[in-house]
Amino acid sequence: MKRRNFIKGLCATSAIAVTAPSTLLAKDAPKGGNILTYDAAVAAITGGKAVTDSDKVKLTVPEIAENGAVVPVKVNVESAMTEAEHVKAIHVLSTKNGNARCADVMLTPLNGKGYFATRVKLGGTQDVVALVEMSDGAFLRAAKPVKVTIGGCG
Amino acid sequence: MKKVLLSLAFLSTMAMLQLNAGEQFAMSDADRAMYKEMLENNPAEIYVEEGGEILEEALGGEEALAKFLEVSEKDLPKYIAGFPRYIKKLGNVVGIDQVLQAMQVSQGKEKTKLKSGKMFSMLAYVKSLANDELINIDVEADEHIKASYALGKTTYMTARGGRGLSCNSCHSADIVGQVLRTQPLPDLGEVAVAGTWPAYRMTKSSLRTPQRRFQGCMKNALLKVIPIGSKEMIALEVYIATLAKAKNKKIAIPGLKR
Amino acid sequence: MAEARKSMIKIKPKKFKVGDTVKVDFIVIHPMDTGLKKDKKTGEIKPAHFIDNITFSLDGKPFTTMKVWETVSTNPYFSVNLKVPGKGKITVDYTDNTGEKNSKSKKLKPKG
Repeated sequence: MKRRNFIKGLCATSAIAVTAPSTLLAKDAPKGGNILTYDAAVAAITGGKAVTDSDKVKLTVPEIAENGAVVPVKVNVESAMTEAEHVKAIHVLSTKNGNARCADVMLTPLNGKGYFATRVKLGGTQDVVALVEMSDGAFLRAAKPVKVTIGGCG
Repeated sequence: MKKVLLSLAFLSTMAMLQLNAGEQFAMSDADRAMYKEMLENNPAEIYVEEGGEILEEALGGEEALAKFLEVSEKDLPKYIAGFPRYIKKLGNVVGIDQVLQAMQVSQGKEKTKLKSGKMFSMLAYVKSLANDELINIDVEADEHIKASYALGKTTYMTARGGRGLSCNSCHSADIVGQVLRTQPLPDLGEVAVAGTWPAYRMTKSSLRTPQRRFQGCMKNALLKVIPIGSKEMIALEVYIATLAKAKNKKIAIPGLKR
Repeated sequence: MAEARKSMIKIKPKKFKVGDTVKVDFIVIHPMDTGLKKDKKTGEIKPAHFIDNITFSLDGKPFTTMKVWETVSTNPYFSVNLKVPGKGKITVDYTDNTGEKNSKSKKLKPKG
C-alpha cells in the first residue's frame, strides 16, 4: 500500500491517469463531417474494390512508440515505377484514430521508387495501415501494430 | 530520519520494478534503428539554421564570436566543446548563451532573454559548430571552474524537496536502467546529455535546452526549480558535462528525445 | 501578417549523378493542431490548424502531390524519392486548412 503511493508520488503527475493523446480514438470522436473512421475511409479510397494483403508493400513502424504524437512510418512498395507499371498512390491510415486518414501520396514514375515516409499521431495502441493503389487499379495493403506508451518524466 | 527511510523504500521498490518492466519497455534493435534515423530529419535543424541566421544578423556571426572569445575561428569548435567556461572578461563561469548576451551588451544592443526562442536557437546553432568534437571541459583549468564543478556536484548529490530526492537518487550508477514511468532511467554520461542537448523533444514538439530539461525533471521530482542561468544551474551543467567527458562523448546538436 | 513558415528541403545523398534516385525530405515547422486540444494557458480549444495539401515540383512540373490530415505529427516531415533527370529546381508548395500558402525551393545539382 505504502509502496504504490510512493511510486505515484515520485513524479508530480501520475502517468497512469494521463490519457491526453494528441488525437482522439474513434470511439471518443465527434461523429459526422469529413472525418472518416477506418472502414469508411477504406471504402472511400477503394470505392469498394477488393484489397489484397501483399508482401510487395513493406511497412516499417516501431513496435513500441516512445511517444504517440510522433510515430515514424515508412512505406516501400516493390515497383519498377515505369509509365506502364507504377505506384499511383500510397494512403497511410490508422485503424483506431477518430480520423483514420493520415496522408494520401500521389506518386509518379519520376519518383523512381514507390517510397514515402512521414511521422503520424496515434491516439492509442492500434495498427498503422499502408493502402496502396497501383497503376493497374489494384489495391494492396500492409498493416502493422504499434504499441503506444504514455509515460516518462519531464 | 524520515527522508532516509523514504529513500530506502524507494530503492527497494525500484529493485522490484526492474524485474519485469526492464524487458517490457526495452527498445528493440529495429525500433532503435528507426528512432536513430529520425535524427536525419530532425525539426530542430530548422531552429539551428534559424539560430545561425540570427547570430549573423544580430551579432556578426562566428567571426564576431571567435573574436569576442579571443580564439581563432579555426579553434572555435573545440573551444565551444569545452563549455561552460570561466571567461575572464566576464568574471564568471558562463554558458554559451550568457556569452552571447555579453556580446550583445558589448555591441550596445539589447540583451536577448536567456529564456527565449531566439536565444534557444542561437545557443543550439553555436553549440552545433562543435559537432563531432569530444566534450573537453577542463574543471582543473582555474579556481573558478573548479569551484563551479564542486558546486555542481553538490547540487547533483543534495537530496531536497518533498520526496527527499537528489539527481543522484535516479541517475546514480546502481539505479540506472531501472524503470520509472515506463522509461528506463538513463546514465546521464552514457546518453551524453551534455553533448545532445539542446534537442528536439517529441513530447514538447519543440527545441529544448539542457537547463530547461533539468527544470522539467526537478518539477517531476518535486524539487524546487533552479533558475536558468543561475550559478547553481551552470554548475550543474559543468558537473553533467564531466559525466559525458568521462565516457568520451562528442557534441551532436541538435539531439532528438522523447 | 504571418511570417513565411520555416522549412527545409534535404536531398540525400549530397553527391549524386543524373539517373540516380535521391531521397527528398521536406521538413516544416507547423503546429498541425487537431482542433481537439486545449491551450494550456487560456484553457480554450486550439482550432484545427494543419497542412492539408503539398505539391512537389521539378522546374514547375509536379511529380508528387499529397493530401494531408491533422493526424500527421506537429512539425512534420514528408519524404519521397526522385529519379534525377538533370539539373533543376525542386519546389514544395503547401497550403493549410486556413488557406495559408507557402513555398520552399532547393536547387538540384547533379554531378556528371
